[in-house]
Amino acid sequence: MTELTRGTWADAGSSLDFKTGSWRSTQRPVHVHSKAPCHATCPAGEDQQAWFAHLQLGHVEEAWRSLVAANPMPGVTGRVCPHPCETACNRTEVDGALAIHNVERWLGDEAVAKGWDYPVAPPADDAPTVAIVGAGPAGLSAAYHCVRLGMKAEIFETLPEAGGLLRMGIPPTRLPRNVLDAELNRVLDLPGITLNLRQRLGRDMTLEDLRERFAAVMLSPGCEMSKPWSVHGAVPPDLHEGLHLLQEFYDHGVLPDAAKGDVIVHGGGNTAMDICRIMMRAGAKSVTLITASGLPGPDTAPDDVINVVPRELEEALEEGLTIIEHATVGRLIMKGSKIKGVEIVSLKKEKGPDGRKRRVEFTGTERVVSVDMVVPCVGEQVDPEAFEGYIDGAYFSPDNPYGRIADRVYALGDARGHRGTVAAAIGDGRIAAEAVAAELAGADDPVADDRPEMSYDGLNTAYYAGSSRVSVAKLPVSERTFEAEIEGGISRAEALAEAQRCLSCGNCLACDNCWTMCPDNAVIKTAELASDGSHYVFDYDYCKGCGLCVQECPTGYIQSVPETS
Amino acid sequence: MREALEGSQAIARAVALTKPEVIAAYPITPQTHIVENLSKLVADGKLKAEYVSVESEFSAASVVLGAAAAGARAYTASASQGILLMSEVMYNISGLRVPLVMTIANRAVGGPINIWNDQSDTMAVRDAGWIQLHCISNQEAVDTTIQAFRLAQETGLPVAVNMDGFVLTHTMEVIDMPSQEEVDAFLPPFEFADALDPERPRSMGTLVDPNFFPEVRHSHHAAMGKALARIEEIDKAYKKVVGRASGGLLTVEGDKKAKVGILAMGSVVGTMMAGLEDFKDEVGAARIIKLRSFRPFPAKALRAAVKGLDKLVVIDRAISPGLGGVLGTEVSAVLSTLKNAPKVYNYALGLGGRDIPETMYRDLLTTIEDKKAPRFAVFDADLDKLAPEDR
Repeated sequence: MTELTRGTWADAGSSLDFKTGSWRSTQRPVHVHSKAPCHATCPAGEDQQAWFAHLQLGHVEEAWRSLVAANPMPGVTGRVCPHPCETACNRTEVDGALAIHNVERWLGDEAVAKGWDYPVAPPADDAPTVAIVGAGPAGLSAAYHCVRLGMKAEIFETLPEAGGLLRMGIPPTRLPRNVLDAELNRVLDLPGITLNLRQRLGRDMTLEDLRERFAAVMLSPGCEMSKPWSVHGAVPPDLHEGLHLLQEFYDHGVLPDAAKGDVIVHGGGNTAMDICRIMMRAGAKSVTLITASGLPGPDTAPDDVINVVPRELEEALEEGLTIIEHATVGRLIMKGSKIKGVEIVSLKKEKGPDGRKRRVEFTGTERVVSVDMVVPCVGEQVDPEAFEGYIDGAYFSPDNPYGRIADRVYALGDARGHRGTVAAAIGDGRIAAEAVAAELAGADDPVADDRPEMSYDGLNTAYYAGSSRVSVAKLPVSERTFEAEIEGGISRAEALAEAQRCLSCGNCLACDNCWTMCPDNAVIKTAELASDGSHYVFDYDYCKGCGLCVQECPTGYIQSVPETS
Repeated sequence: MREALEGSQAIARAVALTKPEVIAAYPITPQTHIVENLSKLVADGKLKAEYVSVESEFSAASVVLGAAAAGARAYTASASQGILLMSEVMYNISGLRVPLVMTIANRAVGGPINIWNDQSDTMAVRDAGWIQLHCISNQEAVDTTIQAFRLAQETGLPVAVNMDGFVLTHTMEVIDMPSQEEVDAFLPPFEFADALDPERPRSMGTLVDPNFFPEVRHSHHAAMGKALARIEEIDKAYKKVVGRASGGLLTVEGDKKAKVGILAMGSVVGTMMAGLEDFKDEVGAARIIKLRSFRPFPAKALRAAVKGLDKLVVIDRAISPGLGGVLGTEVSAVLSTLKNAPKVYNYALGLGGRDIPETMYRDLLTTIEDKKAPRFAVFDADLDKLAPEDR
């Protein structure tokens, strides 16, 4: 018979006889490594939370290496990406989203300055070689990931320089050319990548040649052909399309004489925004953007907002651009072959025969303005020449996430339509390279990471001290030129401080909350990493399922799931 | 050495003589200057103790619990609502059988807010499993406090020394304070066999399930029963060293042959003794039973003390609304086994600090001469102050 001690003092360890876990009935805590929203929304597939975790420890090079596992050009994307990661950042609800793009840019620049080596090994001599058509962001990313996965890449580029849209479509004020060249050349210098310039598919070789000569073919030609534009069939004879004006300006630094007068730009994408700003800066009398979309605001539905990078829009408005929203060009007024004016007409929403709302001209709202030039910027498409049999319509339309359009032929980047960002092109390059590697190895297609995303509601933000987002200097409107970068950089100290603001959504912070607060000591701390990547293990023999750890986990890494047995 | 001391200061000096190692107290209302005086002794370097000024009585009790569990002689003091805030920890202290000493400077419990003396606070923790001793004077409180430390460690039970707030704590009295040598001779150094010890790790405050809980409560009750004899022995031992006893479990004063008795605890006993002197010719001399040990309740001694009484007035300094007096009810219960038990008149007196004059002796005895005298009443309540529907 057990004899009770006075005061029921118990020998050390004897309380382990109480298997309090037997009281657990409905819920048990588990570790769930959810995707942070930044990662879930990143078109390039970066895990920002993962590289911020390295930065939090002050491990800058590790952070960069973690970043470039997905995106080899952080210096570029840190400047040009519309950063959906920041829009999704859960810290928005606390005290402002993390300045992810600023830190990304700093990391990219730091890697260039320090000459850190990409974490890739030279491919074997007999490694398969993938042909890549187009040296834009998709093609460069594809080449990099091919090498990262042990393959070789041979790039064919029409133009005399690599870079694609990065060079031809993005102004130096956003992406200085020295930055672009530095990062791009580091990728191109990787062993296993060969770049062939002035080689145009359809002129210098055929797709079938490439399919025959190479293990796989990736098509990333971009969209270099402007979509047809007319006003009820009328087209001015001296028409200049936005993208070509931009390329001409970047190449030669000149604009047509008419751009000195009153200019109407018709469209609503990033190209329209860039050409508007360049013409304003080049001395146009006035520049007006006419767009069917709306400006962001409480009265504009999200799918109706003008599709441009928000900061570009903000800067354009700062610089004095006039935008006429929900309008179109109704008529061209010509004098001989010269354009003298346009009739602007507002658009209204009307239900179409299919029941969906669309915008139609609102009769009675026509007004005529005098102009010297009309620049259409209604989008670009793939030049279908050389892709006959592979393309149907304006873009490649693969029916799978890898971009596979035929056996060992993949389409990536803008050429797939509706990509719209450099990051998406970089993501396409990675995903296609992974699919090619799997295909060549005779394996199944890579499985997409379908982990759930950690929402703000899943966090316990009581455990985070308030801190404000790093503020970044911007060049005043009066000092802006065609070349000077508008957005400033951040310092090492600012980057490291910003990293401390990361909430680590869905990932174990090793904060010890679960270990400290578990009333049953059912959380065991392990010196070695546990199989789930954390340093904690639940001892279900003692876990009552009270949910305290679930509640007090700052990052939502601990979640309650129903008992199954 | 005899000197005039205020009650609180005298208790502080007595506590210091026991050489406590840890004192924890919440310094604000409801508190007495017992702990204020102790903090001065510590600050002045006259007492080498860890003085922990905490943020609540709950913490004060928790600190002394931990200190005693760690093997230190520990002390705290409180009153009124402070005792209520401590009550949860008081159960833990006694249930874990941790020996320590606390002074309760008895005061009313609000609401309505009232800071004056009665014994509602100690009655509220009647069942917390502590030894509860009551003192009629500051001299008795000094002696009982020193005895309480020995009692606690010999019984493995915490001891609450009750003294009436204000009436004793704030009153000057000539005190014969024992010398350090006498106290050292009487009180051995603190020793707690179950103290926490890193060399012998054990856990304290473990879960006790239904398989063992009744046994735990039984042993606690049995320990209280065994403490009855220890209270008397220790009082005698104290007398041997210091030359003065405090009245064991209870003492019988006044006219030991009287047919009418008055039983009370605390300073009101002194009032009754003075009343007896003043009014014995008018209403006769009563037997006065001074109850010192409320817990453990000395049933046997009490039955012996009432032998020959026809009537017994039990004075309560607290009330259990809906029942009556707590002490009176307990006395009635204990006497119910007697063949010729005296008729018990239970009167609550001096609630919330209402003054109890010596004339109360006369008034009580006169009242019970009436055959229709109530068996329980809030004796000194003036019902004219109440609306008719609230009487």
